[in-house]
This record gives sequence, C-alpha cells and structure tokens, in this order.
Amino acid sequence: MTVEEPIKRRAILIFVLNRPGVLNKISMLIRRKMYNVETITACRTHRPGISRMTLTLFENSDDKMQQVIKQIEKVAEVLSAKELDVDGSFWREVAIIKLEADEASIEDLGRRFNFQILDRCNHELFIVQVAGTSKFVDDFVQAVGEEKIIETARSGFTAMEK
Amino acid sequence: MKGSELVIKALIDKGVRYVFGYTGGAIMPVFDEMEKQKAFSFIMSRHEQGAAFMAQGVSRASLSTANPQVGVCMATSGPGAMNLVTGIADAGMDSVPLVAITGQVPTGVIATDAFQESDVVGVMMPLTKQTYMPLSVETIEESIHEAFLVATVGRGGPVLVDIPKDVQNQESADGYRFDPVAFDPSLAGVLHSPHPDRDAIRRAVALINRSERPIILCGHGIIAADAGEVMKWFAEKANLPVAFTLHGLSAFPVDHPLSLGMVGMHGTVESNRALLNADLIISLGMRFDDRVTGNLATFAATADVIHVEIDPSEIDKNVKTSVAINASVSGALHQLIKNPELISKPRRLWFESIEHFRGEITEEIQEEILSGVGKEGQLLMKTIVSKLSDVTGGRDIIVADVGQHQMILARFYNFQTPNSWFTSGGAGTMGCALPMAIGVKLVRPDERVWSVSGDGGFQMNIQELGSVMEHEVDIKILLFNNGYLGMVRQWQTLFYDGRFAGTPMKNPDFGKIAAAYGIPYRQVSEVAAIEDAISEAAEHRGAFMVEFLCDPSEVVLPMVPAGGGIADMITSLKK
Repeated sequence: MTVEEPIKRRAILIFVLNRPGVLNKISMLIRRKMYNVETITACRTHRPGISRMTLTLFENSDDKMQQVIKQIEKVAEVLSAKELDVDGSFWREVAIIKLEADEASIEDLGRRFNFQILDRCNHELFIVQVAGTSKFVDDFVQAVGEEKIIETARSGFTAMEK
Repeated sequence: MKGSELVIKALIDKGVRYVFGYTGGAIMPVFDEMEKQKAFSFIMSRHEQGAAFMAQGVSRASLSTANPQVGVCMATSGPGAMNLVTGIADAGMDSVPLVAITGQVPTGVIATDAFQESDVVGVMMPLTKQTYMPLSVETIEESIHEAFLVATVGRGGPVLVDIPKDVQNQESADGYRFDPVAFDPSLAGVLHSPHPDRDAIRRAVALINRSERPIILCGHGIIAADAGEVMKWFAEKANLPVAFTLHGLSAFPVDHPLSLGMVGMHGTVESNRALLNADLIISLGMRFDDRVTGNLATFAATADVIHVEIDPSEIDKNVKTSVAINASVSGALHQLIKNPELISKPRRLWFESIEHFRGEITEEIQEEILSGVGKEGQLLMKTIVSKLSDVTGGRDIIVADVGQHQMILARFYNFQTPNSWFTSGGAGTMGCALPMAIGVKLVRPDERVWSVSGDGGFQMNIQELGSVMEHEVDIKILLFNNGYLGMVRQWQTLFYDGRFAGTPMKNPDFGKIAAAYGIPYRQVSEVAAIEDAISEAAEHRGAFMVEFLCDPSEVVLPMVPAGGGIADMITSLKK
C-alpha cells in the first residue's frame, strides 16, 4: 500500500448475505453518492451464504468515510462494514500480463521479481502471473516497460487485517 | 394451494384490512382470489398513484390508533407498476411503511421485453427498503411476511413484492407448509431499534442541565413512535421549548405554552429565532432536512446537538452531533425522563426572548387575517385556515397537498389531536392529498377529515373523486383555487423578477366536476361566507367540496430563502 497519491486511498471491508442484487445495491450507492471508487472485489467466505467484498476508494475526509460506511451498512443484505486499517492489514492483488520478451529479459526479470510463467509463444510472447502488493505489480510493470506490455488484467485488491 | 391463494392468505395473516389497487393482466390471478374470498376491503383507485397514496394514508393515520396497519397497494405489471413509483418514492422519503404487490410477466419471458413487462425490481431498488421477487410458489408467503416486517422495523419504509404470473398460478408442492407464527427471519442485515446507550443518556442529561437556551426539535420520529405525550412530559419536566418539523406537527397541541410552532423555511418567527440563538438543540426523530436547517454552513454554529435517531446513517449525516442516541425516540425519552439527574431550570431570560420573538410580526399577520382579502381582492388562505381552525377547534384531521396552502395550514391550524396532520413532506408530491385523505378516513372513521389542495395539486389526482364517489368516503374537500402554482409563483415573485413561467393556468368549472361525481359543492369568494361554508361542509354527512377563490398575490412568510441560513429569514415584505 505504498502508491503515492494526492488523495488518500482507503479500504472498506464488507460482509454481505450472498443474495441477488447486493452488488447492484452497493454500486447504486457508489453512483448516487459519487464515491470515488477504485476497485471492488468480492468472493465467497467459508461461511455458507455469506460473501466478502473489499472496496477501495479515494477519500480524504474522515467524516465522509463514516458516512460511506453507514450508508453501506443500511443496505438490507449488508451484515457489517468497516474501514480497514491500511497499515494494519495485508493488501494483495493478482495481475496476468501478456508481454513481449526474449529469454534473456525474462531471466533478468525472474532474478528481480517473483512471478509465474503461464504461457509462452515462440520465445517472444509471454503470459505471466504476478501476485503481491500493488507496488510490487506496479514495479514489475515499470521494469518491463510500457512498450513491451501487450495486455494487463489486474484483479483489484483484496485485504485482510493482521 | 395456488400462489394467488397464498398471497391472500399471507395478507390475511398480516391483519390487512384494506388493499388499494388497479388490476391488469399480470395480477389477475391474485385479484380473482381476492374476489372469491372477500377477506378484506378492496378499493379500486382510478390511477395506481392514487392507490399508493391511499395505502400511505392507512399507514400514516393508523399509527396512533388501537390497530396500526401497514397500507397495501396492488398493481399489474408494466405501466401499472411504473405508476406506483412516485407514491413509493414518496413513502421512502417520509419513512412511511408500505407494502406494494405487483404482478409480473411469467418467469419464462422475463427480460425479453414481453407485453407490459417492466424491470420493477430494478426501478424500485433505490426507492424501497427491500424488494422481493418470489420465483416459486413456496417462497410467496415468506416473501410477503418478511416484506411486512422489513417495512415496519426500525425506520419505516416501502417494500415491493413482484410476483410473476406463472408463480401466481403455480400449485404448491404436497409437503409445503408455512407457519406464520413460527416465521422469524433473521433479517441479519436489517437495522432495528437498538436500546438507548446509558452513557449517551447521561451525557445528554448533563448537556440539558447545563443549557440556558435549549430547544427541542420534534420530528416525524415522535409521530411514528406515537410518543407525543412522552415528549410533552419531558419538555414540561425539564422546561424545554419545542419546535416542530413539518412532520412533527400534531405530536402535541401546537398552542401549548412550550410550543414554538413549525421551524424551518416557512416556520414561525419564534421557532427560527430560537433555533438560531439556542445553545442546545435536542433533536428527536428528525433528520435535519434542508427545509429545516437552511444553509448547513451556518446551522447550529454555536449550539451543542443531541440527536435521538433510529437510523444510524442519519446521525452526523448533515449535522455534527455532540451526543448521539441511536434508538427509537420513545425508549430514549423514557430513559431521559427517568434519569434522576435531570433538572428543570426557569431559564427566565430565554423564555422572555422567546415571548419577544413571538410578538415580532403578530400584529401584521393579524391585520392580514382580519382583512381576509389580498391585493387582488380575493380571499387570503391564512384567513380561511384560521377560520377552519376556529370552526373545528383544531381537533380535526388535516390532509394537505403541496404548496403555499400546505405551509399556511402548518402555520395557522391549531393542531390539538395527536397524529392529525398528513402531507407529503420529503418528496413534496403534488396530488397526494385527495387519495391520502381517502386512506386516512378509512382508518379514522369517527374523526372528521379535511383534504386541502391547491388547484394544481388537486388536478393531479382528480380522478380519485371516482373512488370517493364509489365508496362514499366522507371527506371534506377544500380547494384553494388561485389559478396558479402558488408556491412557485411566490419564488418567481421574490427571485425571478415576477416572471410567471409555467405557473398560471386556466381551470375548469370545478363545480361541474363535483356535480359529475355526485359530490355537493359550494364556491366561496367573500370573506363573510367562509365560516358558513366550512360549517356546512363540516356538518354535512358525506363528502362535500368547497372551492375558495384565493388571491394569487398572497405570500407565505416567514421564509428562509433557498441557500440562505436561518438568519436570512424574511419576515415581512414591508421592510
């Protein structure tokens, strides 16, 4: 969580009942209140019928954050919503990146970054999986170089408190 | 049992007495079952919006009776459901519990743009507390039971149940059982009334005790919790003056010595000045709507705020609180009254300044009321309402439409009866009064109900005169006809150089319309005839309509201009 931004990036962890329309309701809130949302990820939990959503947004005002959280909690399917302590939690994302590279540059990247090769084509085109902090993924992308990147699919953040 | 039978069964189990609605293809099975069983009264409106407001009338007015009910409205798919939208949005804005049941096209053709199909659930999602679409007959009863629960728990609001036609026709499986008594949905995510926090109560009492210039803001929450009496005891016990929001009016008699009348944009001089000068604002069941606060930047700048509010998302939403008590007002008030540390102080200086505020424009207003006519020689609404208040002793039920007349009723009717004032506040939906009054009368049959509208709002749901006629609903219909959309015209006078864009209109002969619906009618254009006409309407058994020819130049004052703070209140145009 180290990307330098002028506006604070914050995260909300939401537990919801896994019912149709929940994602719709959260999106509606975001649209209506014009929250500056960056990413939303959702997944099932080990408890049946309960899902977990991680929302990241840009917001400097603590009051507005409180408002965001209360409005989210008001949604009938939401069980709980709270702000994640940015420093007291682990943040990770996964990126699948298609890039131009040769054996040498891949080896070089491999020495500096930990990633997995998913596919290779003619020793020129690689699809790799990079997982880690947002900074880690950003650094990898920078190291590869914009001109060499063909396509990127980033998953958005998920987080867990320590 | 068939789906449609289960719908009726669920409504019977929930104690529904009235269903308002309009049939159509997709809801025919339910209507058929309703006709077969005749288990409750079905009132057909002439427009689905009318049905929604009638249902609202039932919910709002029965709150204070021995048999509080949730109003139910029913419509078909497509345009029928879409016509419910405004009434449902209105219920959401005013926190009125409501259950709307709509028919939907069969499950097999959903999302194929079938005949009379609309995405009701999608459209209603932002407007309702919850939406349900039972996709199998076995989920119909639980959806409806849960709908009623969600509509009434915590902060009230509308809930929609959309039932596809094939599900209405489906037969339940052999082993299907539903026990309405044992049904207890967890409603895990739905917020309900927590108990008032003891520490918060203590801190609130400390603030109240210290305060020299306190003011209570009584909101809709007091009415919804039927806590007017308790609030009066509390105010009397600790010697605290009370101002009312639009929806808080009639919580207790508005001429009580501690009452300051309505506060806000068109509130009384005394309530607004007191609010401006207060050192403590005790807000009970209100949400600091912009009509009350004016410009938030200057609101409560020097006062502490105690906020008793059942919906936690309203706390600190508009106004920062010093002490927040997240609970129903009645629980919180009981705790406050019982607290042994609560004291009463004479606060002589404060009450003296309040008396001073009260006198500020009294003379000017009394002059106007006595004259009875405005600049264009026609009747003044404030005179009519003052006489209505005198003739009825302030004891009757008033259902107001939206506009100048609504503000004048809020200002000049001397409300005595608890929960006797109904209007569209948060949404301000013109056309609400006539249908709402029908619902109100049905659940308050022994009280006299006055439905008051301007000529604009009256014509928006004028078709409901048909329902009045058919069901012989004894409501007294007062039409304040000034040939304009009065409130907008007022703003155009004050802020748009008197350019009346889209406000004047040519009206029909309302007498002929009343006659067409078999409703006795009288037109009043002279001050001397006002009292007589009102008495005649009051004493007549059955619906009665009186049209008053009103002066379009009447201005409702005081007024806090939009964007202005309470300190910018205009009290007189003479200055």
